[in-house]
Amino acid sequence: MTATGDAAQVDRPDGQPRGEAARLTAITKSFYGQAANDEVDFDLRWGEVHALLGENGAGKSTLCSILAGLYQPDSGGIRLDGEQVELRSPHHALECGVGMVYQHFRLVERFTVAENLSLGHPNTGAVPSRRALERRVAELGRRYGLEVRPDAEVWQLSVGEQQRVEILKLLHRGVRILIMDEPTAVLTPQEARGLFTTMRALADEGRAIIFVTHKLDEVMEVSDRVTVLRGGAAVGSMDISGADPAGLARMMVGRDLAVSDRPKVEAGPPVLSISGLTAEGDRGLDAVRDVDIEVRASQIVGVAGVSGNGQRELAEAIAGLRKVKQGQIILGGVDITRAGARQRIRLGLGFVPEDRIHTGLAGGLPLPVNLALKAYRRPPLSRGPLLSQRAVDEQARRLEKRFDIRGVRWGLPTSLLSGGNIQRAILAREISGQPKVLVAASPTRGLDVAAIQAIRRLLLAEREAGTAVLMFSEDLEEIMDLSDQIVVLYEGRVMGRLEPEEANPEVLGMLMAGRTAVRS
Amino acid sequence: MSLTLAGREVVVERRPLPPLWVRAAAPTFSIGFGLLLGAVIIWATGQDPVLAYTEMVKKGFLGRLPLIGTLVIATPLILTGLAAVVSFRMKIWNIGAEGQLIMGAVISSGVGLWIGDRAGGLLGIVILLAAGAAAGALWAALAALPRAYLNTDEVISTLMLNFVALNIMNYLIFSSFSSWRNIERATFPSGRFIDEALRLPRLSGRLHVGLFIAAAAAAVLWWALRSTRWGFEVQVTGDSPRAARYAGMRVDRKILSVLLVSGALAGLAGGIEVGGVLHSLDPRALSQGVGFAGIVVAALARLSPMAVIPVAVFVASITNAGPGLQSIGVSSEVVLLLEGMIFLCLVAGEWFLRNTLRLQPAAGTRAAEAS
Repeated sequence: MTATGDAAQVDRPDGQPRGEAARLTAITKSFYGQAANDEVDFDLRWGEVHALLGENGAGKSTLCSILAGLYQPDSGGIRLDGEQVELRSPHHALECGVGMVYQHFRLVERFTVAENLSLGHPNTGAVPSRRALERRVAELGRRYGLEVRPDAEVWQLSVGEQQRVEILKLLHRGVRILIMDEPTAVLTPQEARGLFTTMRALADEGRAIIFVTHKLDEVMEVSDRVTVLRGGAAVGSMDISGADPAGLARMMVGRDLAVSDRPKVEAGPPVLSISGLTAEGDRGLDAVRDVDIEVRASQIVGVAGVSGNGQRELAEAIAGLRKVKQGQIILGGVDITRAGARQRIRLGLGFVPEDRIHTGLAGGLPLPVNLALKAYRRPPLSRGPLLSQRAVDEQARRLEKRFDIRGVRWGLPTSLLSGGNIQRAILAREISGQPKVLVAASPTRGLDVAAIQAIRRLLLAEREAGTAVLMFSEDLEEIMDLSDQIVVLYEGRVMGRLEPEEANPEVLGMLMAGRTAVRS
Repeated sequence: MSLTLAGREVVVERRPLPPLWVRAAAPTFSIGFGLLLGAVIIWATGQDPVLAYTEMVKKGFLGRLPLIGTLVIATPLILTGLAAVVSFRMKIWNIGAEGQLIMGAVISSGVGLWIGDRAGGLLGIVILLAAGAAAGALWAALAALPRAYLNTDEVISTLMLNFVALNIMNYLIFSSFSSWRNIERATFPSGRFIDEALRLPRLSGRLHVGLFIAAAAAAVLWWALRSTRWGFEVQVTGDSPRAARYAGMRVDRKILSVLLVSGALAGLAGGIEVGGVLHSLDPRALSQGVGFAGIVVAALARLSPMAVIPVAVFVASITNAGPGLQSIGVSSEVVLLLEGMIFLCLVAGEWFLRNTLRLQPAAGTRAAEAS
């Protein structure tokens, strides 16, 4: 049998139009003792686009990966088309008709579109002729609005086109349940429109689509039903006709957040001024668009947003690790828009990057080296070209005590420290450099409660000491607790600016999901 | 792909670094194991392993002449070992020490012949060696510049430049009437000798001061990596280029400087061979793979500059014992096999210090049980 015949058979799903496609019951999955999914129930019907909505870390990707056979659940059951199954591998899931388009594509860049389609296909042994394959790609493409040149090599294609190839690949394999993990994150708005048309067409044909997203507008636009996940648990499912954005935002963010007591500190003069800043992301699209932010001395400005909305790129542009396309950055009166990272450090910029082990640290090297990463150019650590190993070690011992970095084994890689202690070490280094501006990206992500509190205390102490702090965080509680000013980023733009008093989960949730108007 | 053994899957697991004494004793154990395997081979070829090994120690170390022979071979090996250490420390894979050594020899002999008897003594020798080092650095720069600024693959470029250098040298002596070639001996092509006054002073027999220069280079490199800002930056860039950029270091310049230093060390080895041993451009003696052997030396020395010295001496002793072994009937192929066996065991020993193998039921079996 040829690949063409095989897939054509499944193009006519024989399940009933509104029958149950998949049912996940009480799915639990833990990583390192932390539940990513906690007794999650989820059901999917043929012919629907079912949105899976939630913040980062809500357990969306884990749930999808379980259905796609990538992870095995610790407990819970999966029924496909009414039949109990155990999905042992992605390959097995594909055989059962379940396929996933991952955020990071699984394509061979040097192969053509058609070659990528035949790759891994059960009939790879008896390869259908190249011509037949290319015809098949063209035909599928026309039918679902997934046009790509079949003979183009993948590396020549845009990100949106590569995504189409991923979908074509799954259709070619006869997939009837299609999972799309944050598919719009890498697309331009126009491309997203096109994708929605495709998703609609596939669902109307009887297939079932799971659409993972954190964007409310998209949920409202394309899906039939929505399930909201929060903190690893499913908090509710509903038909889209009965859902409203504000209610969904509340469900997604959940908890009531209280503004904690912070010592009153009078903000000083502006120290960091960003105006009209535009910078490109790794894919060459604008990731930061026309952003204005001002941070004053003794002030914490919190940047909220779901990750992937330009925060990393903005932080890197400020730190001098990413080219500024347009706009201006002024630090302490000096225009640093074109300055290198070294000059910015010298002018008093401290930076706690999101990626701690490979950017914030040279993880394979011992702690003293990492604590000296910024100060090694100056006395007492070095004089001219000469570096004093003894001064480096002394500084490490001093900072270890002052910042209470625990678990240090001298001479062993810093990456062996716990997450909290790694972050303490990075902050120790940045704060001891007495910065004028401290940029902290997701400073408490992944840390335990005690470490989170310690890090927050350090940030507040810096504020009192007169530092201008720009903090990026996805944790709304943290944003509301620490910030004197809140800025919400969405798709690289400033979606809104709030005083902490006006902020509440609902407003923030709406802004983070790309909605400005709040209906009350 | 996984390896299965009797229905079980062999799994590689990393393990914490064992205590210092185990790490120190491991190479001795590995060498012993290699010798044991070698003994089986020697025995299988009909020779007496005990006799062969006694002979090996005698010809490699015991007595003045064997010891001098070993140290003379070790001298360039220390330098090419250091060339590999400095670049590998930054995870820049310069495998072109062979070519850089050859170009060092070509240029230093050329400069030596051009000087003639105009400048002898210390000045002449310093010029000769500096020319060698500079030539090695420039040869490395051909790969270093595109690597630093265009991110080309230095493995390919340094490797290919080896062949270019080799052919340049062969052309100068075998296929042309260049000023390097001794024209009087047309039937058996060889190089012209440099002036007596330009040759490195000898210590004892063939042993020359190059050994001290090499040892001093090791000490300087050790110091530079440990006690200069440059060394600090090399260390950080090697571990994480992203962290280096984050700390405001110029990664491209670091790549360039490391490859230039690496090339200079290899080029210096070429200059020392010309000034200390060969006294002419001798293609046969200069294409024995000393550059490649430096990689083995660096790996066995765990990229520590000071450890390069003893390791180079050990590797040289095996090479030096080769002819002696052949004289008692062990064929040259078996000698090479023996060397390979010892190196293989040393490298495997290093691997086992960091990893361990475990057997577990194969994935296929598990899946079958589950369904």
